Amino acid sequence: MQNHAIDIQALRRGPLQDEDAAPPVTSLAVNQLSLFYNQDAQALYDINLEIPKQRVTAFIGPSGCGKSSLLRCINRMNDLVDGCRVRGQILLDGEDIYDRRVDVANLRRRIGMVFQKPNPFPKSVYENVAYGLRIQGINKKRILDEVVEKSLRAAALWEEVKDRLHESALGMSGGQQQRLVIARTIAVEPEVLLLDEPASALDPISTLKIEELIYELKSRYTIVIVTHNMQQAARVSDMTAFMYMGKLVEFDSTDAIFTNPAQKQTEDYITGRYG
Amino acid sequence: MSKLSEYAPAHRARLRHTKDRLATAGITAGGAGVLLAILLIFFYLLYEVVPLFSGAGIEAGERTPWNGPVPAYLAVEEQGEVGFAVAPDGAARFFDIASGAVIETLDLAGDRAAVTVVAAEAPQSRLLALGHADGGVSLARHDYKLSYPGGEREITPELSRPYADQALSLGRGAVTALAVSDTEDALVVVGEVAGEGLRGTRFRRQESFLTGETTLEEEALVLPTLAGDTAALFIGSGQRWLYRIDSAGDFTVVDLQRSGAAGALAIAATGKLFEGGGGLSTSAMLLGGISLLAASDRGELVQYFMVRDEQSGHRFHRVRDFDTRGVVVARILPEHRRKGFLALGRDGELQIYHTTAHRRLYSREVGAPGREGAAAIAPRGDALIYIGGDGQLAHWAVDNEHPDVSWSALWDEVWYESYDEPAHIWQSSASNNDFEPKYSFAPLAFGTLKAAFYTMLIAAPLAICGAIYTAYFMAPALRRKIKPMIELMEALPTVILGFLAGLWLAPFIEDKLTGVFALLVFMPLGILSFAFAFSRLPVMLRRRVPEGWDAAILLPVVVLIGYLSFAANDPLELALFGGDMRLWITRELGISFDQRNSLVVGIAMGMAVIPTIFSIAEDAIFSVPRHLSDGSLALGATPWQTLVGVVLPTASPGIFSGLMIGLGRAVGETMIVLMATGNTPIMDANIFEGMRTLSANIAVEVPEAEVDSTHYRVLFLAAFVLLLFTFVFNTIAELVRQRLRVKYGSL
Repeated sequence: MQNHAIDIQALRRGPLQDEDAAPPVTSLAVNQLSLFYNQDAQALYDINLEIPKQRVTAFIGPSGCGKSSLLRCINRMNDLVDGCRVRGQILLDGEDIYDRRVDVANLRRRIGMVFQKPNPFPKSVYENVAYGLRIQGINKKRILDEVVEKSLRAAALWEEVKDRLHESALGMSGGQQQRLVIARTIAVEPEVLLLDEPASALDPISTLKIEELIYELKSRYTIVIVTHNMQQAARVSDMTAFMYMGKLVEFDSTDAIFTNPAQKQTEDYITGRYG
Repeated sequence: MSKLSEYAPAHRARLRHTKDRLATAGITAGGAGVLLAILLIFFYLLYEVVPLFSGAGIEAGERTPWNGPVPAYLAVEEQGEVGFAVAPDGAARFFDIASGAVIETLDLAGDRAAVTVVAAEAPQSRLLALGHADGGVSLARHDYKLSYPGGEREITPELSRPYADQALSLGRGAVTALAVSDTEDALVVVGEVAGEGLRGTRFRRQESFLTGETTLEEEALVLPTLAGDTAALFIGSGQRWLYRIDSAGDFTVVDLQRSGAAGALAIAATGKLFEGGGGLSTSAMLLGGISLLAASDRGELVQYFMVRDEQSGHRFHRVRDFDTRGVVVARILPEHRRKGFLALGRDGELQIYHTTAHRRLYSREVGAPGREGAAAIAPRGDALIYIGGDGQLAHWAVDNEHPDVSWSALWDEVWYESYDEPAHIWQSSASNNDFEPKYSFAPLAFGTLKAAFYTMLIAAPLAICGAIYTAYFMAPALRRKIKPMIELMEALPTVILGFLAGLWLAPFIEDKLTGVFALLVFMPLGILSFAFAFSRLPVMLRRRVPEGWDAAILLPVVVLIGYLSFAANDPLELALFGGDMRLWITRELGISFDQRNSLVVGIAMGMAVIPTIFSIAEDAIFSVPRHLSDGSLALGATPWQTLVGVVLPTASPGIFSGLMIGLGRAVGETMIVLMATGNTPIMDANIFEGMRTLSANIAVEVPEAEVDSTHYRVLFLAAFVLLLFTFVFNTIAELVRQRLRVKYGSL
């Protein structure tokens, strides 16, 4: 089954258009994934795709197509939804994350997630970033200081907040809050970063900053981004998956999707005929 | 483009405008009305309470001429219309106070020897004793009959001579000082007889069963020989203590019921009255015959009474002294119905004091020099008359409604009469009229806080833990059933809870005390061990229980532990406490046990408070935005870490206000504490004893308090204090909540 799925992936992938010469390593493999809310409402239908390591993969599609649901399957946030059921596999470095022995909390540490709405905790900037470490039991001030600075620098926020680290994070602007959330997420050194429409609630300048940040971060993390904004997908992503009605329509390099889509549906969507 | 306004009918716009204005006006009126109602309550309470703290006032009446000597004894009858004066030579007269006109003159000496001394039994008593030059003693009583001929009040004074047929004699010399005490059991007369010292006689009253006739059985009292001259003699209530004061300010207290050395009655105490030295200026017994008031000629004014000491002996204790502001008191006039007194200064100052409240209510120069005149206070304490050496009869209306209350009487330890030490006591009424009302709020405030404390001890953990579980862990389907059920508990009338607590729970807890404590130990242990066992079950079995329904399978466990705890009551009690835990607590721990105690109140009032706290805290936790807890979970936090690290801090303002509203309810709750405690105003934190709260005290005593009396106003003051309590609690709660909200602002 797994082999079969990979075969399909290989067929769909097409030629790689990356500047990078070395072939990318698969970070996440989604195999025949179906998602059900309650008994009969199916949200995802047999999704198969391979997300490459240290690349940005974008999920695009009209509202309700299941792209966010798919994203939430990757770090098992859907477990929290009452009556939600998953069939199929998601392999993180070859291990099934839906295996019974998997420690969900640890999995979520490895696969970080940033939500659409900035959700800093009602704590200081410093404590927001340190939170992920504290829950791992790391309380040494020296280590925390180091990681907080490193993460805030990585999220391009350090210069803006270094003088107000101990003030409430709720006083920051929306864009800063979102970058803080990203800093908080990368503080625990995840392997994969899931971004669920991270810039949709932000103004254009903040959006630009987030996009620059994504570009910076992709050298270290596998990034999966869900976006409504096709320009954004075109700007930041290496790979793009187009979804429609819970099905994966097309998955290819971003250039291919935007310049020469294989499917009629994809072309219609990106040229704005529906969605 | 069509203009929309063409289609919208104008009257709709007007209607909309009117509705908007009506709503604005209605809501403004409602809000203002609420504020107004609260202010009205506040000011009404204040209006009832303020007279307690206003001082006394006097208003001078006309002065009329008085033809006669300055009386040795002066009294006013109940209505303040008729006065009675006895001159030093025994010539007595009833007179009209307003005009000074004589109503009737009498000669108390009669055919006996000349009168040498006149003494009253007690401030409120109308019994007089007259000492004669031949050592004889005679008694006189002045009474007043009220009649209403033609609808108008007429007061007819009468004088009777009790025991006129008995020849009362103390010795052969002239009587120079005299004290008398007449009760149903005995008549005691003690006097200083010139050349013979103290002489006393006790006449025991014997009533014949058959004829109802009383006869007096004479018994001579053998009094010790004392140095110095006797300036004043008093017999205390119960006819036990004889107080003798000499003009140098030395006191001697003789025990009239115990013989000492040489066959004479024992001297119980002796010493100097005044710390600042100086001789005696004047002295008097306070109402009730327990306290002695004495003033020195150097301006000291003190109150003494007999206090039992550790060795069950007695000492004459200086209980309090009054600051006269340098006035030398020449005459003390105890009130007839209260523990207060008027003091006339040597040079014409009038001061009004109250002993329990330790308060000077009035102090002013009124032109009534105490050293050269006689004065009397009306029984109701509303009038003062004075006959001075200048041949003038003066009278004043005294306005002194509430002398008994002061800050120190309400909150500080007060040394009450007949108590061994200062104490906080609430006792507003007693069987006799001359008792000292004890208005200490301390035990009531303590009881209120104690009840609230034990309530919160039981309610807060249960309500908050329940709220956390329900809001954060419970399956939504179960939550939809549980929450309304707990909130329904709030609708339970507290009188039913109180009734159940008093009549069922209190005896049950008394009976199964060991079981109750076993439950406290076994319930958490049992639940924890069950949870541990459950987590060790194979996954297949655990998966059978849907997420969030785990509480449901705990139900039978809770019931079982409850049943077992109470079933184990008897064997445990036998094994650990020798068969009776109550007895064991009393004996081994030295804690007294009441059936209706704080534990019962805590549980019953806890039941009333739990829904309040639960409901507010549950809402607060449940309304923590989902994206916050998701954010924490997405960082790899476990649900428990998310709860402690993010959800609870964010919900803390709500949880805190829930707690404070619960506390406010516990402080103000009346019915449950009224029915489930013994309502004993004690100050003891012991969980096995009851309490009396401010609210229950008001409920118990308001129906029996005379309107506008001091007691009535003090109860209003209690209500005012209660209002302040809740006001302070709510203000603190609001401030803390604001701070929490700034810190963990909701998103």
